[in-house]
Amino acid sequence: MKRGSVSAIVNLVEPWAALEPLTTQRPVGTLPFGGRYRLLDFPLSSATNAGIQNVMVAAPRSGRSVMDHLRSGRDWNLDSIRGGLFMYPYNDLQLVSVEKKATLLHHYYDNAMLFLKRSQSEYTVVMGTRNVSNIDLRALTRYHEERDNPITTVYKSIDPNTLAPDHTILQLTAKGMATAVVPADKAKLKKTAKTVAKNLGIYLLSTVDLIDILQEANRRGVLISLEELMMQAVMQQNANAFEYTGFYANIHDVSSYYAANMAILDETNFRALFYSSRQIYTKVKNEVPTFFAQGSQFRASLCGTGGYIEGQVEHSVIFRNVLINRDSQIKDAVIMQGTRIGAGTQIENAVIDKNVVIGPNLVLKGQPNQPLVIRKGAHIFKQTEVVASD
Amino acid sequence: MTDEMLGIILAGGQGTRLGKLTKDTAKPAVPFGGRYRIIDFTLSNCANSGVNTVGVITQYQPLELNAHIGNGASWGLDDSSGGVTVLQPYSSTEGEKFFEGTAHAIYQNIEYIDQHHPKYLLVLSGDHIYKMDYAAMLAYHKAKKAALTVGVIPVTKEEAKRFGMMNTDETDRIIEFEEKPVHPKSDKASMGIYIFNWPTLRDYLVKSYATDKSLEDFGKNVIPAYLTHNESVYAYAFEGYWRDVGTIQSLWQANMEFLSPHNRLNIGDQHWRIYSKAQVLPPMFLTATSQVNDAMIVDSCYVAGEINHSILSQRVSVGMGSRIVDSMIMSGATIGKNVVIDHALVGEDAIIGDDATVKGTTADIAVVGYHETVGVQQP
Repeated sequence: MKRGSVSAIVNLVEPWAALEPLTTQRPVGTLPFGGRYRLLDFPLSSATNAGIQNVMVAAPRSGRSVMDHLRSGRDWNLDSIRGGLFMYPYNDLQLVSVEKKATLLHHYYDNAMLFLKRSQSEYTVVMGTRNVSNIDLRALTRYHEERDNPITTVYKSIDPNTLAPDHTILQLTAKGMATAVVPADKAKLKKTAKTVAKNLGIYLLSTVDLIDILQEANRRGVLISLEELMMQAVMQQNANAFEYTGFYANIHDVSSYYAANMAILDETNFRALFYSSRQIYTKVKNEVPTFFAQGSQFRASLCGTGGYIEGQVEHSVIFRNVLINRDSQIKDAVIMQGTRIGAGTQIENAVIDKNVVIGPNLVLKGQPNQPLVIRKGAHIFKQTEVVASD
Repeated sequence: MTDEMLGIILAGGQGTRLGKLTKDTAKPAVPFGGRYRIIDFTLSNCANSGVNTVGVITQYQPLELNAHIGNGASWGLDDSSGGVTVLQPYSSTEGEKFFEGTAHAIYQNIEYIDQHHPKYLLVLSGDHIYKMDYAAMLAYHKAKKAALTVGVIPVTKEEAKRFGMMNTDETDRIIEFEEKPVHPKSDKASMGIYIFNWPTLRDYLVKSYATDKSLEDFGKNVIPAYLTHNESVYAYAFEGYWRDVGTIQSLWQANMEFLSPHNRLNIGDQHWRIYSKAQVLPPMFLTATSQVNDAMIVDSCYVAGEINHSILSQRVSVGMGSRIVDSMIMSGATIGKNVVIDHALVGEDAIIGDDATVKGTTADIAVVGYHETVGVQQP
């Protein structure tokens, strides 16, 4: 694949309400994941690893957290003089005023079309961030080129029992062609089916065709999301269906976010996601080594740098710059960057957001399927401040 | 673009006293403290002191150092007007520009320095662990109206025998210089840090290399020449943490000190960060069988064994049943199962096979070289 022949659109306009309060101040795409990453690192790294140099990021709101993370795009090798990273904020139509909507009616996709025209790419891949994967986009492009349908979709074969109502699945023909993308709760599944083709929300098509689709949407004057447009395109045109077989996690609510973090504590998953030939890139930070004090215990867990660990940690994902004081017990938890845990505090089945301060001798416990969530920047010093989750 | 003060880091030394560790790499590129190389301290001091144009003079085995420094972006030294430049010997009509001593190294790079028209030249060595504000030293240099200011650190009488010692008057003006004196008269040891008025030094060097070529080394030749010609030479006293890590013993010792949360170096100070080449690696993974106490560990380490009072660098893996005590393991080393490593420095990408033992003592630190294999049966 020639460099520059494919461009990418990473769409951060994704459903976020079920992930609150984690998504109160950030789009789903900048949710921290796996000790040092953000969800959008995965599609961006896939693009970088396939030699894609033109990347557009559509942010729902101001994109402050997105820009803080991406900066010039340099950490993904996207600051090249050939191509680069293009950021477009304020794409969430739910947040647009009625007056603004009127002016957007025939212009919503102007920026995306301009990006695509200037990219001079032959193909474009459209991706979201809530399906964590490490996909080979070169293989996807080859697959597309070898087949006749104008659009290629990606699926993962999963157990139908693990489907959530808001997932979408691909309806496949016997020859492996996708004829529709349908919501899981409306899909008619055979009772005998052992697997189902879970849609990963990745679409590859020729850039000219995508410009046509966007132009048509602008002309009709219906404000419709890019994700919706892609699903319609599959329905109207039939699609090739590419099976992805690597590590996959879907993040659609707090429980699935928590489960996805716990899943990478499994060594096989961890290696599949992070130690394949396709590296995952993220914003580079300059942290000191993590210090494990005398008397600490840190087991079956991941940890970022810059940490100071005195307590006991088991089966948890600990991000960068976390301080865990002595005699504390952390189990089955996700603790994000900059958070401090007081001495003697017990935490279990919990997601603690960034820069939280938890005082000493508290008990914070959620349920394995319903973790306790502490919002970003919270300071908790009294047991009564922690609402029991059951 | 004119820089008031240009930094030059002398990174060409072989560092023979580091034995195996500098067989294929220059001393300033030797790893330190889990995620640093020795030169990071000097480069970060430059960046934090506002010395934005820095030349790094290399000669011996420069590849790893070049790769590490890159375009200087990791230290924020990638400014469009200056930044960091790696200076390699090259050939010209005047002959090849290899160098013999510290002052000769500056002479061979006069053209680079002249490009930046500095008023002051800051000369540093790339092989010390410390945090120092060179801007404060420059302010002192200006206040003293000095031609040369030498950074000095207090040492004991015993240590003084290994250093260049500065004897000063009550105004801190240097009146005498003694190289490795048997009976030291002062406690002020040269740190190998100099601020020169560049035009003056330039004259001295140009004249010397047009005639007797005597000014080869700063300590041995230039400082005595300045004193003979009655130039104003001052000592600038540094009180902070400073370690020369030129020997296996001192490198190990400084790493062990680095482990202490009470180390005076204060590596965690956000106002004077030590930067290093940024690498994106997955977080460290400690398994259910790991036992980690009093240890520093960084990204992409995999630990299934026991780590006690030791430092693991990036991409180190330690198998189940292994025990690492009082040691520093450099990046990429693979340590098998049931291995014992005690009082050791283990080089980059070394392989320690299952059941092997690498054991040193406080007086005699064990060293495993880069890419060296220990205890694995060769096919």
